[in-house]
Amino acid sequence: MVAALLVAPLAPLLGGTALIAADRSRLRIATAAAYGVALTLAVVALAAALLAVWKRPGIDHSWVPAIGMRLHLAIDGISAPLVVLTAAIGVLVVLHAGWREPSATYLGALLMVTGGALATFLVQDAIAFFLAFELVLVPMWLLIARFGDTTRPGERDRAATMFVLYTVLGSTLMLVGILVLVVSAGTSDLTHLQTAHLSRSTQTVVAALLMIGIGIKIPIWPLHSWLPAAHTAAPTGGSVLLAAVLLKMGTYAVVRLVVFPLPRGLHAIAPVVAVFAVAGILIGGLVCLVERSLKRLIAWSSVAHMGFVVLALMTGTTLGVQAALYGNIAHGVISALLFVVVGGLKKRWGDDDLQTARRALRQVSPRLGLALVVGFAGSLALPGLAGFWGEVLTLFSAWSPGDRPLTLFRVLAVAAATGSVLAAAYALRVLRTVWAGTDSLPDVVTDGGSVVAQDAHAVEWIVIAVLVAAVVALGVWPTPLMHQTAYGLAHVSRVLVGGAP
Amino acid sequence: MGTLSDSSGWPVHPSQLIVLLPALAAAVSLVLVRRARIPAFVVALLGALGGLAAAAQLLAQQLGGTAEASSATVGPLPLEPVLHAPMRLGVDRFAVLLAVTVAVVALVVQLVARWYLREDRRYAAFAATVSLFTAAMQLVVLSDDVLLTIVGWELMGWCSYLLIGHDSEREKARRAAYKAFLVTRLADAPFAIGLVLLATGAHTTSLSAIVRHWSGQPSTLLTGGLIAVIVGVAGKSAQVPFQDWLPDAMEGPTPASALIHAATMVAAGTVVLGRLLPLLERSDAARTVLVLIAGISTVLAGFLAYCQTDLKRLLAWSTVSQVGLMLLGLAIVPVGHRADLALNHLVAHAMFKALLFLVFGWISVLVGGTVVARMSGAVRAHPATRALVAIGLLSLAGVPPMAGFVSKDLIVDEAATRAVNGDGVSRIAFVALAFSVALTAAYCMRAWLILDHRSVVERNAALEIVEDSVTVQEVGIVELFVTSAQVDRRGREVGQPLVPIVPEPEPEPVTVVAPDAASRLGLRLLALLAVVGGLLVTTPLLSLDWNHPAWALIAATLLLMAAVAVFVRVQSLGTPYGDAAGRLPLTLRSVADRGLGMDGVYVALTRPVVALARLVAGAERGLETGVHSTARGARGLAGVGARLQNGTPTAGLVAVALGVVAVGLIGISLW
Repeated sequence: MVAALLVAPLAPLLGGTALIAADRSRLRIATAAAYGVALTLAVVALAAALLAVWKRPGIDHSWVPAIGMRLHLAIDGISAPLVVLTAAIGVLVVLHAGWREPSATYLGALLMVTGGALATFLVQDAIAFFLAFELVLVPMWLLIARFGDTTRPGERDRAATMFVLYTVLGSTLMLVGILVLVVSAGTSDLTHLQTAHLSRSTQTVVAALLMIGIGIKIPIWPLHSWLPAAHTAAPTGGSVLLAAVLLKMGTYAVVRLVVFPLPRGLHAIAPVVAVFAVAGILIGGLVCLVERSLKRLIAWSSVAHMGFVVLALMTGTTLGVQAALYGNIAHGVISALLFVVVGGLKKRWGDDDLQTARRALRQVSPRLGLALVVGFAGSLALPGLAGFWGEVLTLFSAWSPGDRPLTLFRVLAVAAATGSVLAAAYALRVLRTVWAGTDSLPDVVTDGGSVVAQDAHAVEWIVIAVLVAAVVALGVWPTPLMHQTAYGLAHVSRVLVGGAP
Repeated sequence: MGTLSDSSGWPVHPSQLIVLLPALAAAVSLVLVRRARIPAFVVALLGALGGLAAAAQLLAQQLGGTAEASSATVGPLPLEPVLHAPMRLGVDRFAVLLAVTVAVVALVVQLVARWYLREDRRYAAFAATVSLFTAAMQLVVLSDDVLLTIVGWELMGWCSYLLIGHDSEREKARRAAYKAFLVTRLADAPFAIGLVLLATGAHTTSLSAIVRHWSGQPSTLLTGGLIAVIVGVAGKSAQVPFQDWLPDAMEGPTPASALIHAATMVAAGTVVLGRLLPLLERSDAARTVLVLIAGISTVLAGFLAYCQTDLKRLLAWSTVSQVGLMLLGLAIVPVGHRADLALNHLVAHAMFKALLFLVFGWISVLVGGTVVARMSGAVRAHPATRALVAIGLLSLAGVPPMAGFVSKDLIVDEAATRAVNGDGVSRIAFVALAFSVALTAAYCMRAWLILDHRSVVERNAALEIVEDSVTVQEVGIVELFVTSAQVDRRGREVGQPLVPIVPEPEPEPVTVVAPDAASRLGLRLLALLAVVGGLLVTTPLLSLDWNHPAWALIAATLLLMAAVAVFVRVQSLGTPYGDAAGRLPLTLRSVADRGLGMDGVYVALTRPVVALARLVAGAERGLETGVHSTARGARGLAGVGARLQNGTPTAGLVAVALGVVAVGLIGISLW
């Protein structure tokens, strides 16, 4: 059982490194072989992750005694859904890569991101957590810089550089925060940190440092500027990993490093962060109303959705953390779906400009059309799809924010509800132009002809179908996942349990 | 049925099946059927029939007193201790009554839709959406949980978006769908906030527990929550100032309109407020808001209905007016009473409005449109529709002994009683009701006179006379037109050579497949219910005081309606299509056709938002460039440094000298 804990992150990490190395060396393995190896490794990682989630084994060994770092791997109700999500997305992105002849380096980078993210969610040590977190950045940069948008190489390089520089800035602040936290608490173990007693001023300083550092990675407005460019430039697999995995690591870090160990620090800075989060919801929604590039639009909608997650976290109540964790997973699945669909559309169209008149997607490619509808309906938090529960429970938690300033959070709840109206406006704006089409082009007969051949087939359709099924399943049946996180939260005494007066 | 009626031994409660079966039908249809027509119809029909059977089963249990009061859905959500979220359905007499109503209408709509969309490529998607719509409405009807109510509420909005935009090839349909969803979603924001307020205050999402919690303590917070909910209801129910999405929603296929108007969507507001009625009764401020919104809506929409040149839009506005009536029926209820008045009218309205929409859809297929010019004389030309239209309009107008009469009269009666007893809200309601009754009679009479207009018959008869006339044949008037020289307006010959006039070819006789037997049976069922639905008040499902009618009030109402009818008849005389509204000033009619220009107001309201969005997007571009340029600046600085590091002695000496000066300056300044 313990092996599963190690296999889940190490198989993709080592396998990915091997693939990249092999591609660099004179070996030059065949595409099909690399694809087979990568897919096998991703499936192995998923199987190991599922086994670990099911059996909940644990490893706790001394690793680097000099700084008190331990090799402590475990899974609880809070990380379990994220581990499964990451491993599953890992399989899907590798599978999806088969749609267009992938190079071994590309597959290797995908695997390394997956493995690094799995390690991030599994480790229970703050310093090891930071290491795993940083491990992901390099292959991600590789994905954007080498395999990104070939139509505008200048833009792509700029986006890749900015992604690395900006997020490393975040990492630096996060590292400082973690070191202060670890030194003042005297332990780097995340479970022990949950019960550490720090003075209010230390907590505030550390929480502020961490929130700025992690805020770049989530991202929280106004620290988000790297995100739209990175998403636009990244290849489909990169966009999916960025949205479904990397952003999730940020919110997970807030839960583990801020919400649990630093309740009083969070109490001090929560109002400010919550205001920025809601500003992100509104500004993200507004930008989406006029954004012309479809990929950028989805990236901006991510800023808005992460705003909901952060707002819920800032309440510090069990309900808020529940809402945030659910919204986190939901956004992972929905944005993965959207980026797969839109990546496919961009390949077919040649660009992703919304102003270009095109034939109705529901006529030309019914499968992609259906997936786009599900994706954007999920994005506007339609009930019955995954996005709903996170956002509606965020409203509940912001309306009864425990010991936070009541009026402020209620105003923020109203603003967030307004943001969901904006979400409906931009989601339907896209569907109206892309899905329902424009009048200026003649209608196409759907049966026969080369047009239908453009619809999603084979691996692309499998990936889309799995994601659609996940979005629907999470929306229709929220109870199992909520029980997972509730179980995880039940062991954390530091979370506020109360509601409004 | 033996096992089914024993609800404890049966794993699935009928109330769960009512929601589940239509939802399953939608899912199965979407996943397995996709494009095939007949399987899609079979699946949709099975869903609707199953839903109706389950509702009937529940009705039997309710009447027998064996119905379980509550049943589980997805299981309680673990949100303790902040929120208790049991996520259960609640079964009471209202829920049962409404569930049956919704199931009946949904079944008939599915039957007729198969005929109406017989040549539509996307029939399967339409049928699946109708199934999902039904499931969503049943969820709202049966929900005893705020979260479930929001789920059904917003799902209905989405389904209406899909149905209204069904013919997405047309820009008008796309726009109407977009508008309907956005306007209702805008109102959904306060609706959600209102329900969140009520639920968090009570620490539970169970509606019945919320009502129990807040009943004891009237407060401004409660009033605020209720008003927010009322605003949301106004959005979904197309009340002022959100009313304008509903007439535009006529872009959807007629069966979709029948569903949206009769049993789902617009009626959902009444259902939710009906559940919250014990709280509403105690808050005079919320009641006043409700009576103002509903009162203005019912009168304004009644007037606009009278002016419409499109009879389908007339029906749409009449829905706004009738839903206003239902909401008035909620506002006037005295403390301690339940929502019987409003729900009784909801049921009656569902029957006659579904009937009217479906029959109008049938007629529109026969005559090729729903504008007055097309519809004029339609029931004479197509006598099969005549009785159905007559029943629908009589019930809508509230003529005894129709269902519409009973339900409307009881509301008027209650409003009058409470107004006499000095309740201010009821006084406003009574005035609005009086206008509404008169206007309803007026537009129903107008619609009937148009549909029953003689002129088509007369024109045909006259044509025959002309053709038979020897004199005309001798003159050869047709040849005269063809051969004689063209003249201008003053009769002077136009110098140009004669253009040979080719007589237009006779239009091909359009063969319209008549609705199949099942559709007709469904329509007859609705007609029957629209007639005898009034008997519902005698059943234990409603507790209304029906056997002490205020005869004087009824007589006065009927007199008013008769007077209005005579007035409309007089107005219609001598107009081209028997259209009484033809005598109104043209500007008024065109403004009324455009819904008093509310659409322009909506568009104007979006402009500042879009302007703000452009501003924000511009600022964000600037921010992004700024952040980018820090990277470029760093790179530039590095470049400068690299260039300075060129290894020549001069550059090195300059750098050392500058360094010494700088260090010296720092030393001096710190000294």
